[in-house]
Amino acid sequence: MITYHTYKLSNGLTVIANRDRTSKLAAVNLLYRVGARNEDPERTGFAHLFEHLMFRGTRRIPDFDRPVQMACGDNNAFTNNDYTDYYITLPVVNLETAFWLESDRMTGLDISERKLTLEKRVVVEEFRQRYLNQPYGDQMMLLRSLAYHVHPYRWATIGRTPEHIERATLDDVRTFYRRWYRPSNAILSVSGDLPEEQVAELAERWFGPITDPGDGNFPLTLPAEPAQTEARRLEVERDVPASAISIAFHIGGRTSPSFFAGDLVSDLLAGGDSGRLYQHLVKGRKLFASVNAYVTGEVDPGLFVFTGQLLPTTTLEQAETALWEEIDRLINEPAPERECEKVKNKFEANTLFGELNVMNKALNLGFYEMLGDLTLLDREVSLYRAIDAERIATFSRETFRRENSCTLLYKAKR
Amino acid sequence: MKHPTPQIPTTIDLPRAERTRLDNGTELYLLPANEFEVLRVSFVFRAGTVHQRRPFAASATANLLAEGSARLSAREIAEQLDFYGSYYDVSIDRDFVYLSFCTLTRFFRETLATAAEILLHPLFPEPELRTYCAKRRQELDIERTKVETEAREAFARSLFGAKHPYGISYPGSEYETLTRADVEEHYRRLYTAENCFVVCSGHIGPEEREAIAALARQLPHGTRAEAPMPATETTHEARVTHPGAVQSSIRIGRLLFPRQHPDFLGMQVVAAVLGGYFGSRLMQALREERGYTYGVTAAMVNFEREGYFALATQVGTEVTADALRLIYDEIERLRTVPMEESELRLVQNILAGEMMRILDGPFGVADATIENILCGMDNDSIARNLQRIRAITPAEVQRLATQYLRREDLVTVVAGADAEGI
Repeated sequence: MITYHTYKLSNGLTVIANRDRTSKLAAVNLLYRVGARNEDPERTGFAHLFEHLMFRGTRRIPDFDRPVQMACGDNNAFTNNDYTDYYITLPVVNLETAFWLESDRMTGLDISERKLTLEKRVVVEEFRQRYLNQPYGDQMMLLRSLAYHVHPYRWATIGRTPEHIERATLDDVRTFYRRWYRPSNAILSVSGDLPEEQVAELAERWFGPITDPGDGNFPLTLPAEPAQTEARRLEVERDVPASAISIAFHIGGRTSPSFFAGDLVSDLLAGGDSGRLYQHLVKGRKLFASVNAYVTGEVDPGLFVFTGQLLPTTTLEQAETALWEEIDRLINEPAPERECEKVKNKFEANTLFGELNVMNKALNLGFYEMLGDLTLLDREVSLYRAIDAERIATFSRETFRRENSCTLLYKAKR
Repeated sequence: MKHPTPQIPTTIDLPRAERTRLDNGTELYLLPANEFEVLRVSFVFRAGTVHQRRPFAASATANLLAEGSARLSAREIAEQLDFYGSYYDVSIDRDFVYLSFCTLTRFFRETLATAAEILLHPLFPEPELRTYCAKRRQELDIERTKVETEAREAFARSLFGAKHPYGISYPGSEYETLTRADVEEHYRRLYTAENCFVVCSGHIGPEEREAIAALARQLPHGTRAEAPMPATETTHEARVTHPGAVQSSIRIGRLLFPRQHPDFLGMQVVAAVLGGYFGSRLMQALREERGYTYGVTAAMVNFEREGYFALATQVGTEVTADALRLIYDEIERLRTVPMEESELRLVQNILAGEMMRILDGPFGVADATIENILCGMDNDSIARNLQRIRAITPAEVQRLATQYLRREDLVTVVAGADAEGI
């Protein structure tokens, strides 16, 4: 159970404070509601490139990292399809340094042609290192483009191709910054050992003077993905040691009932070593070297994904059949009481383990606020508790239909 | 608005562990932090790869402990742990094996009962061993398609020698001839009271205290393991050709000394200046100024009997030669030009912050305690280390770099397309 206070500054910035009396560290998390889903389909990878640029200095502070490090702090950021997140942990006595730096780069970013050119190169290297020069690196990219035809989730955060990143201009940078980086589009969450009112005061002092451009709310008009009506398949051949298979199914968005049911089902299948897929398909039938099931957990309607790497003795047909057999069991056999209890206990324990440090707490507070319902943070455990065997079967029947499936066969070159 | 002035911690408190020697000789260390509702127990065994008599026996033993006991099948063990939301984590390095159980305090008894099965009564069933070997072999094959892995393995061979226990790597095919008897032998010889100590942190009341002691007391007697350590044989250059790779993986470093050496902390500072943080000299030269790489790191690495300095990066194939030149130049600059006070201050503050972050929360305290025990130090050493790091001067950094990072002493490994040509 995390206690928190929320405030809204007059410029629209949301501020959330949690007091943690056990730590000498504090965490400051600043989330901007912009991610890869907000990109132009011909200029993908930009939100992530922009996140890199946020570390390239402002008019007043030429080097962002240095003052953080001088204050014994550590900082980083990540971008996903829905949002961009910047975080700093530092001794709680130095908390104000984080406010100073984050408020400064909300408006003062100073990007030159040279900085942009260099950063584009770094991001292209990241593209190569993590996606191109990596066995199975493009698997999720292929699956996304198979499952989504119109919604921007069809591309990964890194972008569709390195050429898109190379094409970014200074003008793009300015427009993007003005449009998305503003108090009303941001959530500041703080966890550490100091009174909540003091967090509110600090937020007012450092972020209060920033004016929100207030030029419209830019209603999000992302193209909705039409319901899929027939099974999709894609087969590719790659130079990898073992073939792999993924099957994805469309489910609801992060706050929809189908997400919670799906998440629980994915835990039945793949939560821990006792999960069904590992026990049946890796250990029992020895078909896979590794196998997993998960929900993508994105804001807009997401995916339930089965994925696995085959043992050399298994054919792709056998692997696919085996996964469908597990699906049939979910639909036709009620999940045993004890198994349901197990995944719910595990969810509850994970929630508790996740509350052990200030960083996780600040991150979670920002995330749930972004979802639009901060109370979900403490309600989720009871939402999971309420899911019974019948709901699991219903979810499985409604979701795991052939015509709702996208199958990616990733064949190892012989 | 005036920017805030940071305050630098002058000391870091790590509570001393309560130490008890049990009847069977096992040392138990307790770090109570009763404000938390969780608890972690870690068992550290002198059972790493240097002690194995067959390739992969050490890791197979550690990873198969939970795959079936006298009373519970592999599946039942997994079910038990998952049912109470507990975590069982296995890690292994060249010297030691670390087995940790994390649990909510209210499920402590149930988790410890499963831990007893894992630690004291493993059966290593043949079918589980075969599944494990097939799976690991495939994972290893995949790992070895990466230039990073190729460079890492070649680097260990180059530093220590291809047959040295710290340098050796084995073909995946060795998994096929690994037998149950090999694993059983490794377990009997090394998972004993004399080769173990236990560290527990989090919510520890009298009941928890007694239960952990009762479990650890059951570890059987044996003899303390000593692995023979042949002399190291360093090769200074190695290249691994990986046709078609779009990036090259580079490792540069040299053999130095383990943590107990008076210059170890100083060399940690040297490593940090070069590649220990985001704005480090190598990060500036390779990433920020040229965009050659996504990242570069440098660190001192500690084994029980040796220690080494290493830096690692992955760069575009076409800029590999230039990246190497830049790295050597940066090392040379540290040896010839005294660094600015302000840069050193920055590095000192970063290292102080890192220590604070490592020690945050009940589990981090346990990790730091384990590290101290392995080096024969108590927890007060953390505060002393901080003092030592804060006291280092630019002249000392230069002295260390001059003494230990001479170009002719460095080992350079490159894995990538056309690595031979570089």
